[in-house]
Amino acid sequence: MEEKVLEILEEYCEEAISYTGDNMMEEGIIDSFTVINIVSELEDAFDIEVDAKYVVAENFRNKEAIIDLVKRLVEE
Amino acid sequence: METDFRRVVVVGYGKATGNILKYVDDKKTDYGYSLEFIEHEPHALSVTGQICKERGIPYASIPDKKKLGGYLGGIKEETLILSASNNFLFPASLVERENITIINFHNALLPDYPGRNAPSWVIYQGESQTGITWHYVTAGVDEGSIIIQKTCEIGPDMKAYELTERLMDLACEGFYECFAAVLAKSVQARPQQFSPDRRMYRSTQVPGDGFLDLKKEPEELYRLLRSVDYGKSDIFPPLQTLVDGARAEVLRYRKIAPEKRKDEEKMLYLSLADGNLLKIKYRLKG
Repeated sequence: MEEKVLEILEEYCEEAISYTGDNMMEEGIIDSFTVINIVSELEDAFDIEVDAKYVVAENFRNKEAIIDLVKRLVEE
Repeated sequence: METDFRRVVVVGYGKATGNILKYVDDKKTDYGYSLEFIEHEPHALSVTGQICKERGIPYASIPDKKKLGGYLGGIKEETLILSASNNFLFPASLVERENITIINFHNALLPDYPGRNAPSWVIYQGESQTGITWHYVTAGVDEGSIIIQKTCEIGPDMKAYELTERLMDLACEGFYECFAAVLAKSVQARPQQFSPDRRMYRSTQVPGDGFLDLKKEPEELYRLLRSVDYGKSDIFPPLQTLVDGARAEVLRYRKIAPEKRKDEEKMLYLSLADGNLLKIKYRLKG
């Protein structure tokens, strides 16, 4: 699963893979439009629904946070 | 560099607003105006507040329309208000004030597609081209004289949020080109010519009335799906449909190559004229 998430991230925001901080949005690594694309790909790849309440900067602060989010949603 | 404006107020949210805010802040010392930012519609992924914090730009969140009108109405000095990705309608009493000039970015080529959610309507109507307009704000919605326009193509698979992003980039380009002339009050603004059947799009209107009629051509359905696609933003409610007589709600869609077809529950596949399939995932409503 992790591998697939990273593959999607790499497709839309290569910088996110090497980013080691904890706020990709504020640091301008990723923007709201890229988040829309990533969410759409994740939903399709894992057949999950990402509710709007999860689409907040906190859940997209780095690649680990995104992987955690997907794990939680897959387990739901 | 000279301007009569003593104060510049940016009102809006999103990517274009952030970039414009940075640009106007960079020019502040050259012209000697003060700058502030007002957020009227808070957005979960907005970084404009952070830009203000980093740069020391005074920042206020005023979601209440009356309070915002009152705040702007209290401005005494000669002020330029920049409205970028902003849905607040400036009251006539403010627009008509001599010390206030307001310019607004509209995400379509005015006089066409005035009002709300223009990127959705141009996709839904099958336009091949759209663009942005910076115009002076008057008491009528999106009716003021045009300062600058920029055009772009609408790709055959472009979704509303992708077009919105493109238009925001164009809005910034247009703004960088016209800002000096706006400050110098030397813009050769062009009055809009309205046709008698000019239609104003309102926030309550949804393309296709929000219904995905599966009896229609797949190309039309694809246009409708793309036109309301803003990711998780609740700009429009989810599209409704009828599957074998049962009420259903569209969850997501995608254009795929035929070999990628994977039959699953609650999934529809429609053949598009270009040989691809339109995959639509739905859920039944109770």
